[in-house]
Amino acid sequence: MTLTWRLAWRNLWRHRRRTWLTVGAMVFCNVLLIFLISLQLGSYQMMIDNSLASFSGHAQVQHRDYLEEQRMRQSVPHAAALAASARDTLGLETVAARGMAFALVSSEQRSFGVLLNGVQPAYEPGVSTFPGLVHQGRYLASGDGGHIVVGSVLAQNLKVGLGDELTFLGSGRDGSFAAGVAIIVGILETGMDEIDRSVAQVPLAWFQDVFSMGDHGHTVVVRLPSLEHVPVAVATLQGLVAGQDNLVVRDWDALQPGLRQAITSDMASGWFMYAVLIVLVAFSVLNTQLMSVLERTREFGVMLALGMRPGQLARLVGMETLLMSGLGMAMGVLLGAVLTWYLSIAGFAYPGMEELAAKFNMPGRMYPEVSFLSLLWGPVVVLCGAMLAAIYPALRLFKLAPVAAMRAA
Amino acid sequence: MYKFLVASSVLMFSTLAVGQELTAGDIIRKAMDHYRGQTSHAQMSMVIHRPDWQREMGMKTWTEGDKRTLVRVTVPAKDAGNGTLSVDGNMWTYTPKINRVVKVPSSMMSQNWMGSDFSNKDISKDTDIIDQYDHELVGNYQQDGHYVYVIQSVPHEEAAVVWGKEVLHIRDDWVMLEQQFWDQDDLLVKTLRTLEIREMDGREVAAVIRMSREGVEEEWTEVRTAAIEFDVELAANLFTLSNLRNPRE
Repeated sequence: MTLTWRLAWRNLWRHRRRTWLTVGAMVFCNVLLIFLISLQLGSYQMMIDNSLASFSGHAQVQHRDYLEEQRMRQSVPHAAALAASARDTLGLETVAARGMAFALVSSEQRSFGVLLNGVQPAYEPGVSTFPGLVHQGRYLASGDGGHIVVGSVLAQNLKVGLGDELTFLGSGRDGSFAAGVAIIVGILETGMDEIDRSVAQVPLAWFQDVFSMGDHGHTVVVRLPSLEHVPVAVATLQGLVAGQDNLVVRDWDALQPGLRQAITSDMASGWFMYAVLIVLVAFSVLNTQLMSVLERTREFGVMLALGMRPGQLARLVGMETLLMSGLGMAMGVLLGAVLTWYLSIAGFAYPGMEELAAKFNMPGRMYPEVSFLSLLWGPVVVLCGAMLAAIYPALRLFKLAPVAAMRAA
Repeated sequence: MYKFLVASSVLMFSTLAVGQELTAGDIIRKAMDHYRGQTSHAQMSMVIHRPDWQREMGMKTWTEGDKRTLVRVTVPAKDAGNGTLSVDGNMWTYTPKINRVVKVPSSMMSQNWMGSDFSNKDISKDTDIIDQYDHELVGNYQQDGHYVYVIQSVPHEEAAVVWGKEVLHIRDDWVMLEQQFWDQDDLLVKTLRTLEIREMDGREVAAVIRMSREGVEEEWTEVRTAAIEFDVELAANLFTLSNLRNPRE
């Protein structure tokens, strides 16, 4: 057995340049695949994290029917206390309670309907990027009462600035009239009109008072360090609310169903490109191995005449391919790993990307995801492709007749 | 906004001879015309019912013609003093908690009014049915010794109306027995039904009306009229913003 391996190894280097060229193509392909796949997975991670970080968090505790119906009475009792115990249990600071109510907000001159958010000023910055995007003034602080932070477009529409008063009219949780006056302490600008037109945040305690909520809120938002923590955190939260039938824990996929769809469709188009790349490399291997088999027709004829079986010869060719593509894979993975590992630490940015991201209070660099999947998926498929490509040259050996082969030109 | 409630709850007892030759438009128009140009003062309560809770509010209403309505909440104490004034299709709300009068913008007109099953739009657009709909008498039946007209009203092509059509059941003494709201896909959305008719101040009045959405019968809003007076003398400044803020009643 070792003899055959040695034979295969030596055969490879009879055409040094040709072997290196083929190995080079595989290395290049592998590095490219590793880089692209890591970057792609990393960018999905970033895409999900960024869109979850802006407001919805990775998971929320809600009333069973709140997601669909969004009614005032579908609330979470003891919301702030629940958030506090979730912080303790999860060992994370990034948990916050919120209340939400539809209200008519008016300035001296204008009125609009908005979805007013009651937030915990101390914890909201941990679960949302909005607090970091205050453009004028400041964000809400602990101890604030009738104070409000609004989006820049909403402020423009209402024709108000810092220090102006806004009044709210709505219905309380008990159906009573809810009304309050709040002073604008901050104006935030996310750069997205849709959000800047609708954001209005007041302190949760004041919100609960105005809307007769008692200690109820509408959701407890949890932001996690990364997506991998979601299943465990969801299970932990489910344990916390186990006694309350009305409450459910929803993960990001339930909260923002569009996100996964966007990723799945993007992934499909990515995989198509990778498949083309892999097929090209497989053909290059097929070409190399076919040539090396054809040029050795006489040699193989001699070996057959000496008593080797065609199966053994086919195995020899297979071994040569395996050695060659193993070499390509080892070098490719090594180079690819070094490259993506470096980028995963240093980050990767397109020109102008950092300035753009800063505007949205998002990380400015992409960090490719280094994982077994991203490192090995591409190279393993390339290896399999190469082995498949060797089947045809190897099959040819079974048709060789020793005498005719020895006489071949 | 209360014009609508009052229009539907007030029974128009007509002494005019009702002939079979009346067209559908005439029936609605006569009922509305009869109602227009009158004043009223009523004590009502609104009951909002949901499977898991129920809420009741008491209120006083004043109307003049179909363009002016004032509503003031009397109970519960927490909400007492809240008022809504509607003049010529504009709507203002006053809340003593913040001591401010706020104009309700048109973008809020499709919102539910105080968590009830009535929307601001339903309520404020009551006279649209005369101006902006085509009416057709589609049937009739006898009930409790009365003749009941069934009228189908379809909005004009260009009318700014959310409904696809409305179907009204009007008794020959001008009581609206039922008003159905159909959407533009020809599905019944909600129905306003008269549950109880009583004589008050010399007229037959729809004393209890109930709005319920199709398919969710366990959720409804009732408006119950406890007392109503017609053709009362109203102060000249009743329907003004300053009176909304500082009631002199």
